[in-house]
Amino acid sequence: MAFASIHVPNFLVQAVMRAEPTLRARAVALVDGTPPIWNVVAANEAALQAGIELGMAKSQAAQFCAVEIRQRSRLQEKSAHAALLDLGASVSPRMEDTAPDTIILDIAGLTSLFGSEENIARRLMRHASSLGLIAHVAVSSNLEVALHAARGFSGITLIPPGEEAKRLGRLPVRALLPSAEILETLERWGVRDCAALAALPLLQLSERLGQEGVRLHEFARGASLRSIALAEPAVHFEEEMALDFAVAELEPLAFLLGRLLDQLCARLQARALAACAIRLRFDLEDSFEKDFQVLGKNYSPKLAPKTYEKVLGLPVPVRDSKMLLKLLRLQLQADPPHASIVKIILSAEPARPRAAQGGLFLPSCPDPEELELTIGRLANLVGNANIGSPELVNTHRPGEFRMSRFIPASDESKISQENGTAAAAHVRKEDHTSKPCLAATAFRIFRPEVQAKVELQDGYPARIYFRGMRGNIVAASGPWRTSGDWWREDTWQQDEWEVDIRFDASASRRNERIPNSRTQDGLYRIYYDSIRAAWFARGRYD
Amino acid sequence: MYTELHARSAFSFLEGASLPEELAAVCKEYGMASMALLDRDGVYGAPRFYLAAKKINIAAHIGAEVTSAAGWRYPLLVESREGYQNLCRLITKMKLRAPKGKGNVSGAEVAEYAGGLVCLTGGEEGPLAHALAEGGIESGTECVRALCEIFGKQNVYVELQRHFLREEEARNHAAIEIAEKLGLPLLATNGVRHAQPERREVLDVFTCIRHHRTLATAGRLLARNSELHMKTPDEMVKLFSDLPEAIANTQLLASRLQFTLKDLGYEFPKYPVPDGKPQIHFLRQRAHEGMISRYGPNDERARLQIERELNLIEKLRLEGYFLIVWDIVRFCRERGILVQGRGSAANSAVCYALGITAVDSVKMGLLFERFLSQERGEWPDIDLDLPSGDQREQAIQYVYERYGKLGAAMTANVITYRGRSAAREIGKALSFNPETLNRLTSLVGAWEYKDANDTLARQFRDAGFDMQHPQIRKFFELCLQFQDLPRHLGQHSGGLVVCQGQLDSIVPLEPATMPGRVVVQWDKDDCADMGIVKVDLLGLGMMAVLEDCLQIIKTDYGEEIDLGRLPADDPVVYSTLQKADTIGMFQVESHAQMACLPRLRPECFYDLVVQVAIIRPGPIVGKMVNPYLKRRQGREAVDFLHPSLKPVLERTLGVPLFQEQLLRMAMIAAGFTGGEAEELRRALGFKRSEKRMKEIEIKLRCGMDKNGIAPVAQEKIVQSITSFALYGFPESHAASFALLAYASAYLKCHYLAAFTAAILNNQPMGFYQPDTLVRDAQRHGLKVKPIDVTCSDWLCKLEKNAPDFCVRLGMRYVKGLRSDVALEIVSQRAIRPFLSIEDLKLRVPLIQKSELTTLAEVGALNFIAGKHGVHRRDALWQIERAARRPGPLLEETEGAEEEPVNGSAEAASISSAMQSPLAAMTGEERLVADFRGTGMTVGLHPMGHHRVEMKRRGVRSAIELTHLPDGMRVKIAGGVITRQRPGTAKGFVFLSLEDETGISNAIITPQLFEKYHVVIVHQQFLLVEGRLQNQDGVISVKAESIQPLGITRAETTSHDFH
Repeated sequence: MAFASIHVPNFLVQAVMRAEPTLRARAVALVDGTPPIWNVVAANEAALQAGIELGMAKSQAAQFCAVEIRQRSRLQEKSAHAALLDLGASVSPRMEDTAPDTIILDIAGLTSLFGSEENIARRLMRHASSLGLIAHVAVSSNLEVALHAARGFSGITLIPPGEEAKRLGRLPVRALLPSAEILETLERWGVRDCAALAALPLLQLSERLGQEGVRLHEFARGASLRSIALAEPAVHFEEEMALDFAVAELEPLAFLLGRLLDQLCARLQARALAACAIRLRFDLEDSFEKDFQVLGKNYSPKLAPKTYEKVLGLPVPVRDSKMLLKLLRLQLQADPPHASIVKIILSAEPARPRAAQGGLFLPSCPDPEELELTIGRLANLVGNANIGSPELVNTHRPGEFRMSRFIPASDESKISQENGTAAAAHVRKEDHTSKPCLAATAFRIFRPEVQAKVELQDGYPARIYFRGMRGNIVAASGPWRTSGDWWREDTWQQDEWEVDIRFDASASRRNERIPNSRTQDGLYRIYYDSIRAAWFARGRYD
Repeated sequence: MYTELHARSAFSFLEGASLPEELAAVCKEYGMASMALLDRDGVYGAPRFYLAAKKINIAAHIGAEVTSAAGWRYPLLVESREGYQNLCRLITKMKLRAPKGKGNVSGAEVAEYAGGLVCLTGGEEGPLAHALAEGGIESGTECVRALCEIFGKQNVYVELQRHFLREEEARNHAAIEIAEKLGLPLLATNGVRHAQPERREVLDVFTCIRHHRTLATAGRLLARNSELHMKTPDEMVKLFSDLPEAIANTQLLASRLQFTLKDLGYEFPKYPVPDGKPQIHFLRQRAHEGMISRYGPNDERARLQIERELNLIEKLRLEGYFLIVWDIVRFCRERGILVQGRGSAANSAVCYALGITAVDSVKMGLLFERFLSQERGEWPDIDLDLPSGDQREQAIQYVYERYGKLGAAMTANVITYRGRSAAREIGKALSFNPETLNRLTSLVGAWEYKDANDTLARQFRDAGFDMQHPQIRKFFELCLQFQDLPRHLGQHSGGLVVCQGQLDSIVPLEPATMPGRVVVQWDKDDCADMGIVKVDLLGLGMMAVLEDCLQIIKTDYGEEIDLGRLPADDPVVYSTLQKADTIGMFQVESHAQMACLPRLRPECFYDLVVQVAIIRPGPIVGKMVNPYLKRRQGREAVDFLHPSLKPVLERTLGVPLFQEQLLRMAMIAAGFTGGEAEELRRALGFKRSEKRMKEIEIKLRCGMDKNGIAPVAQEKIVQSITSFALYGFPESHAASFALLAYASAYLKCHYLAAFTAAILNNQPMGFYQPDTLVRDAQRHGLKVKPIDVTCSDWLCKLEKNAPDFCVRLGMRYVKGLRSDVALEIVSQRAIRPFLSIEDLKLRVPLIQKSELTTLAEVGALNFIAGKHGVHRRDALWQIERAARRPGPLLEETEGAEEEPVNGSAEAASISSAMQSPLAAMTGEERLVADFRGTGMTVGLHPMGHHRVEMKRRGVRSAIELTHLPDGMRVKIAGGVITRQRPGTAKGFVFLSLEDETGISNAIITPQLFEKYHVVIVHQQFLLVEGRLQNQDGVISVKAESIQPLGITRAETTSHDFH
């Protein structure tokens, strides 16, 4: 039984260097954070020697001219980790995915294939190098020993059976990854390497550091035993299809999508799972002419992307391929790809299927899948932003609301009972001056707003022209002034008026499309938008 | 014509966004003759509003919005002095019974204090709006009727405000109907919250701060529009064109409001003379007694001066004031509390005779008029220095007891938004994440000196903020607008105001955060402006050091020292001062003072007075330091600017160094009267305005023209006077400080152990870290012993170390060790010695593992098990076990093993049981542990461990530099103990580096600082290479290159950014 552990030191920096090999000879520091705050999270030895410290602000690090500053890249870390797994898989199928920067291989019996253990280690080093990674490799019959040796010693470390404790002696205790508290205690004690730790009497150590102390002591002596935790290949529910001929129309595409969805749903069923989201990706045909035209017209300097992606979120986990196809079709109808499709990649996010039972005495409500389909159809007609439940926003901005996801009545009533009272209490607490206003009349808001022309007399609106009608304002009340959101770019400043309008009848007689003006007479709310320097009609009182 | 009668200033704390001065200025600009300020629950801004209005000749009406029990507010305007007193009492009553910042009044209380007040029905937070919302017009009518019953019908005005809001207009309709029904006058106001429309943004941010929200989440809490600003009379007339009487009534009401703050009716309390004789008689007796004891019976000059002063005191009826201050001093003396008067009081021989001050003004020829003048019509200012801490508190409580809770109070300290606090609050409102906020706030105001490029904009860019980003730009603009707006009311460190009768009828009183303290709503300048006399009881760290030192000398040396009778010309003291060997000494220990001392070479007390006064921003910026030093050294001829100034400047060799000299120069050269000179002094003070300075300059030049002073001399005189704008010391003040400086120098030179223990027990104070103080004492031959739980107390103390004393460090220096734990250790130790760490843990159960760990790490537990001791790691090893107590099952067994053991054999066995398998700490490890656990080491300086290597690298020690010639290229190295970038030094940075032999100084040019910024600011040990400057015994190195010196991991600290 032998194990090889492969560790990539300073993994974050190496992941970035792997994508930019010219950095290898340079001092490099990685920064990470939320803009505008960036801190150094990793640096190579050269950068540390130049004076870079972890946690330092980017602006401070930037003062070190010799140091290259790069942003940490999780994507590159992911691909570096994938490369590490590939490296392991190239030698042994029995592999433990210990950490992003470390894997352990079971290399028992591989000597007949690759030669001695040293050869295997060399092979691993070489492969790592060809993958753009500098790795430490340690081989031991004890898995933990191999693991810690790879973390603590550079290059290749071969530890023969029986020499574990001796070889680990020089290893810093930090490599055993103790908890921060214990590491601090060990540092206070002056116990810095495994030899010093192993030399401590076990019983007295356990009295002081408890079970973790005992475990670390075993590590330090190379006496810890555990089995390899084999990495399970990740289950990806993904299907892809490269097309011989580019597809440009929805019907043939739907046919292909249907096939792929059938396969996906079958796989999901095999594992007793359903999909809570479907990801769709199309590789698109190069549309040189189209791009050329776009560029030629100078409308946009950006080239259209060569892929098309869509995520279909589902309210409940589904594995009905027909239902999924219908939903995908609606999405594609609403937002079709801009070029012909040459490849389809479809993946499902697995989730446990819905296991709900309707109450016997509860009123029946729409089937969630059917409802989703209906909402999808409506969204297809009116646009996603225009469907859902309207909700008032806590602002003085006139007419402001947002659309929230539509929740069926039964659930909603429950939710609104819980949230509604809280929300009402919230509003009361927040704005105790505004009392519920008992409106004598209803007010119909024009959406979108209607632009108007208004003539003023002594500062009061006197005549108005909108929707092709001209009217005299016989009474006006206002202005009611609101302004706000001055810290945002979409600040507003409006003067509202309530106006009683008598429309000119001649306009409607001349033009049939204009409604009968007499029926349009009444009380309106109009406003002057100071930012846009224009008048608008906001709505009409019933 | 319209008058604004309902305005709030920023003194409504987060409910108004403009300063009273800004409101007054806009009022004037709009041509209004008067205006009323109604801040929330107080008259905080009234003095500033009154003074600003007085200056621009408009009337300032006073009032307040007083919170009712239901949460709405009575807008009250003061009509007469009775009304003002009632308002103050009402607010005091409400404030004193509620927690700070809270409180409300009941209707009955308002009725009790309604006399002389006019009530408005208010805007959206007023009583009428509240009643209308609750129960419609009936309820509104009832509410106004109730107000009429409280205030009288003639004192209630129905208020109308128009901010273009529907609800408000509906309220106005109801208000008009009610006014008609009840026959009450209408009154138009604008409910002003800020002077200009754009200040609405500040108000919105204030709203967010008040409600702990961000701008994004505050929603309808924010202002609906920007209409709460001051409007012009024309705008208001137009707005109320349908109700002209509402506008006209503003004038009528304004004409009724006759009260101004000029009319306060303040009287200083009378001192209760024992046998009912006149106060002046009692004062004369005390002064006479004092004169005999200070000057002897035959000093005619002193007698005449005292007589002259007493006559003036009698004329100005200030005898009560002097007696009250004398009484406080007497109380302190009786309690053994050190006390010394400073400030202009030191110009008075009466103060000297009464024991209030320790400076002999007759002998020093100080100008009495600077302290008290008939012409000025201003109260004198007496500041008393007391030891900081409990003893000062005793004196304050004595004044409270003596004059009653409503007769004495502390002055307030208005805390205003500054760069850092503004940035933090605005950042929160703009939803910046905490990390961004920390970065932003750490950026602001790090160095005192700001070069031209060191703008906020540049700091933002340096931190990676994009100034083009609209949110960042808005943040930046708001930061600028927030500057100087009041944030909350604090308590001034020592200003006490006392009043004859009821102070609460002069200014509202509030509870302070500190229990037992009461503060007035005005700060000390406002009190002075309003003619309220104050006594400053200031806590001074050095007074506490001196007092502790005297106590230690008495207990350990068995000697009694009287600071008043120290030998005046002690040669050791002066030779020490001349060598600038002054670490720890009051006022003469800074880098700049040390650089001056060897050149000034003080030889007598007056030289020390000059020394204290000369290193101030005034003389430095006025370029007076070098001329004085050159003239003193005889390298430059003495020149008096103008022959007429010779009598004034003779003593300081023609260089003006003290404030009095400048006043006298103005009086002689430009013919200023005493009052004008006083105005000049105020213009030179903290709240300096460029405009005011210019006006004074013009006046000066005119006066000098008249006196025929040549333009060149004029220029020099004006420059001398205006550069003092950054203020210098008055001579009397410098003399008071010089006394303390001398006392501290004397005690340090002659009782080093006692002085070191006392100064270590009063940290933090002064210029240096405790580590530097200890090392300095060690260099002077004092042995300082480390902390040891078997003999250290909480405070540092002396131990006999024949033939002299040594200092044993106290446990107060163990980081994280609580004082009650340390005191428990001491008391348990007194019962019987600790046998082991487990024994200590059992007998001091309060102690936590972290505290034990630190004690062990710094070696304080080494001798717990006997005098042979163990090493620090042995102790650390035992702690881990002691800290993990067994469960209840095994506890008894464990306890049985730990019965007290007697006899040396057992003790030795315990000592051996303390031993561990761990290796002892190395020297470097001990150093790291010492600094981590106590911030200092009593062992060798870190540089001492590396001297051989330093020598190899050509580095000179601090002591070697004294023997090297000026101009030589040298390398110095050490731990940074101070980094300074003074405002007066044009961007130069001064570093003090310490090694085992002493301190060396490096001067860094702005260019070099720019280049090595990170290294200079972040590295604790530096190697500096440059040219040696060795002139007149002042030694420094003008740096040319700087590099970090990674010699230790010890976390030493430095005192930075003065």
